[in-house]
Amino acid sequence: MQTSLTRRQAIARLAGAAGTAAFAPSAIATSARRKQLLVLFLSGGASQLETWDPKPGTKFGGPFRAINTSLDGVRIGELLPHTAKIMHRLAVVRSVNSNLPDHEKGHYAIQAGRLAPGYPVLGSAVANLLEQPGDVLPGYITLRRAGPKAYTDTGDAGFLGAKYEGVRVIDGLPPENLMVPAGINAAALQSRDAVRRAADQRFLRSHAKAPINGYSTTFDQARALMQRREIFDLQAESPKDIERYGRHDFGKNCMLARRLLEAGVPCVRVVHFDWDAHQDNFYWHQMRCAEFDRTFVTLLDDLEQRGMLEHTLVVVTGEMGRTPQINNLGGRDHWGRAWSVAMAGCGIKQGIVHGATNDLGTEVKEHEVGIGDLFHTYLTALGIDSSADYDLNGQTNPIADPAAKPIKAVLA
Amino acid sequence: MSPRIPHHLLTLLCLAASLGARGEGLHNQIDVLLAKDWAAAKVRPAAMSSDPEFLRRLHLDLNGVIPTAAETRAFLEDTHPDKRVRLIDQLLGRPEYSLHMARVFDVMLIERRLPAVKSYDVAVAAWRTYLAEAFAANKPWNALVREVLASDGSDELQPAAVKFYVSRDADPHQLTRDVGRVFLGADLQCAQCHDDPRFSDYKQADYFGIYAFLSRMSFHRDAKLNRSFISEKAVGDVSFTSVFTTEQGKTNPRLPGGEMIADPMLEKGKEYVSAPTSTARGVPVYSRRKQLAEQMPRTETPGFARNLGNRLWAMMLGRGLVHPLDLHHAKNPPSHPAVLSALEQWLVEHRCDIKGCLREIALSRCYQLSSELPAGSEPMADAFAVAPLRGLTPEQMRWSLLRASGRLDASFMRAEEQLKKTKPAEVEAKLKDWHWVKENYEALEKATTTLIAAFTPLPGTDDSKIDPVVDHALFLLNNPKLMDLIKAAPGTAFDRWSAFTNPAAMAEDVYLSIFNRLPLADEAAEVVKIVSATKTAKDRAEALQPLVWGLLLSAEFRFNH
Repeated sequence: MQTSLTRRQAIARLAGAAGTAAFAPSAIATSARRKQLLVLFLSGGASQLETWDPKPGTKFGGPFRAINTSLDGVRIGELLPHTAKIMHRLAVVRSVNSNLPDHEKGHYAIQAGRLAPGYPVLGSAVANLLEQPGDVLPGYITLRRAGPKAYTDTGDAGFLGAKYEGVRVIDGLPPENLMVPAGINAAALQSRDAVRRAADQRFLRSHAKAPINGYSTTFDQARALMQRREIFDLQAESPKDIERYGRHDFGKNCMLARRLLEAGVPCVRVVHFDWDAHQDNFYWHQMRCAEFDRTFVTLLDDLEQRGMLEHTLVVVTGEMGRTPQINNLGGRDHWGRAWSVAMAGCGIKQGIVHGATNDLGTEVKEHEVGIGDLFHTYLTALGIDSSADYDLNGQTNPIADPAAKPIKAVLA
Repeated sequence: MSPRIPHHLLTLLCLAASLGARGEGLHNQIDVLLAKDWAAAKVRPAAMSSDPEFLRRLHLDLNGVIPTAAETRAFLEDTHPDKRVRLIDQLLGRPEYSLHMARVFDVMLIERRLPAVKSYDVAVAAWRTYLAEAFAANKPWNALVREVLASDGSDELQPAAVKFYVSRDADPHQLTRDVGRVFLGADLQCAQCHDDPRFSDYKQADYFGIYAFLSRMSFHRDAKLNRSFISEKAVGDVSFTSVFTTEQGKTNPRLPGGEMIADPMLEKGKEYVSAPTSTARGVPVYSRRKQLAEQMPRTETPGFARNLGNRLWAMMLGRGLVHPLDLHHAKNPPSHPAVLSALEQWLVEHRCDIKGCLREIALSRCYQLSSELPAGSEPMADAFAVAPLRGLTPEQMRWSLLRASGRLDASFMRAEEQLKKTKPAEVEAKLKDWHWVKENYEALEKATTTLIAAFTPLPGTDDSKIDPVVDHALFLLNNPKLMDLIKAAPGTAFDRWSAFTNPAAMAEDVYLSIFNRLPLADEAAEVVKIVSATKTAKDRAEALQPLVWGLLLSAEFRFNH
């Protein structure tokens, strides 16, 4: 399903919209204090050996060098030169063992922090757990390029329901239908909304509340998005800033992510595609890392400068790592047994590398970390008690896998 | 050979048999078993549904669309004690039943998947026609599944049925997973790489046992015919290694819990009917894939009848007795094991009769409970003690919007008029003929693609978790295509409503059309207030628009309740 509007057209239309509530800077100031989450998802699975955990000169090390970083004694792959300069602000876990060499399962399990199906993914969970009375913007927005990989959207809100589903923004296009239809007067719209609300109030009296309220919320979210559609307009940014982020989809989406966080959206995810390098792994990682590296550092700098990083947790993860073994097409395959994840910002200790793999990078050598541990860690960093339960209609469910625990070493 | 006639006769015989045993019957069994479970768990069930609740729910579940105002009024005024049973049989006998089931089973079997090259897919129209034909004849589930798994796209076999394979790119791993999930209720995916550590019932050997049936197949596109086929080799063995234990195994085709099936010995050089080449598909003399079609769809296959029972239950009650539908294993037991056993047993005895089973479920008290909560409590969803609020599926939403707005019936009215002019002798037969009805639905389908696209979730998702999201709300609030439905146009509900000069009668018709019930006193008063100041039909239509729009946006319309 291809939308007929180009981005430019859509924005031009938005800019021309009459009678829209201006995007009030004061709203940013008041809503920006709360804790927020930004997930940069390297979809397909980035190679830990070409990024956070290089093993140059070893059997599986590949052709690239390791370079010094701003953190004494810590070296990362040479494809991340900008990131190397800010390592003292990051926490990197080099000992992730998820054991899930599969895109679809990995996408879900890494983000839900468990294997069992039906749970909310990180963005949906945090949207629910950090929800405040009076919130109207969607709790979770996920940004990606239009792509054939439907599994990037699997998982979502699970038993939390539609209200916490990630709102998908594809190719930076604002959601469709943000404009009031032509030729309808304001009084008619008001009267329509009053009829809907009155009907729902009556229906609520005798029926299950959760689905009715969930549905009703989607209309509140719709109104909030309609009022604030300027958020999606990157034309408001200077060409210089657009250049800093990069003119590729990841750059634009990261810039949009910053704007959404500024506007008070609690959780944002940006998906960066094409890390699944079964062939020509080294060529692909040059391309991918070049996009990721500069944009990531620009984004972190901006968040810091605007005073946002102290209350925003930034997580860099994919659904898995890549095999140390290099296949006969020069590729690395799916691999979950020893790979890396990075974090920064809210609640995270700065300048730390946790855990290690063995010399060849084939196994975790110390401080093994599972997907449940990471999930606990993210929540704890955001000030959420990860040992608590969801309580939905009297049915309790642990927020995070009770068999796992937060990684104390990376928490501030 | 036409297998359709004997199946049809058998089904009739079975139906007659179950009717003869009234008072016993599966629906009574369900009620007795559930009542026992409710008593044990101290669950208070909801009251019986009101007539409007039952009518709307049944229409949505069996015909896929809400009833018309006229149908609603007729049912509410009917005083016959057996009117619910009659309605069930009436709706099961309509052409719309076959069309609705074709849509439901399309989504269940294909899960909105698309092949990598979208244009290589089997056309939806041909596939839906195939399914509608099957449901019109009430083809037993095992026969339907056999055709789906046997089809290779060639004309001798049901060619449209190959969509199950084509929509998954004929990928043996994807198909192994989905054959397990869709037909046996078990997701063996984790067992692809190792014995599933969560569920001792899912073994790596089971996964590869199914995989061995499918591993020799591949997708084949015939560029000349411009059609998609399945190609199959006569050779290829399956071995596997656990990523945990590095334990190795080798397997021939085998169903979970069954015996390995040995390949027959064929003379060398005579393995193929036609050998695969770079341009031609392979057709082996002995097809492992056809063995799967032969061996799996049998009531003796563990899980086969149970999965059908669970899925039919979920279609009618909003969730499975085993839930999620594809995770039947020891650690996820059915919420009501005896009910599931009864369904399974019934399906075994009645040769996988889908229509008969739906009829029994519809007759049960459980199905006919109200969605209004019993005072002071909200029973858990898996107790089935109150009717759930189920979001309308994209198809139900589309057709119900078109019905409430009068567009659906205006369109059929025009088609019927046309028929009266051109083929007056055939009118009665055509109205009952699903082919004719389908043609007329298709015309509207083409005109309302935007409407359904707005509500359709991503490829790979089925209808078991339809949740409203903000995109739907934006569509309902702002999309011009929706606006088309709520303005006056010849033959639509708006025209009918604005013609009323008596505001109270108008209020009744509006509520019967949209909510399938009479308005409450305050609701009727509101309508009277809105239109009393208007003089012309045009004024009335304008005044009514916000009201109708608001009602279409309300939860009472959006949910099957």
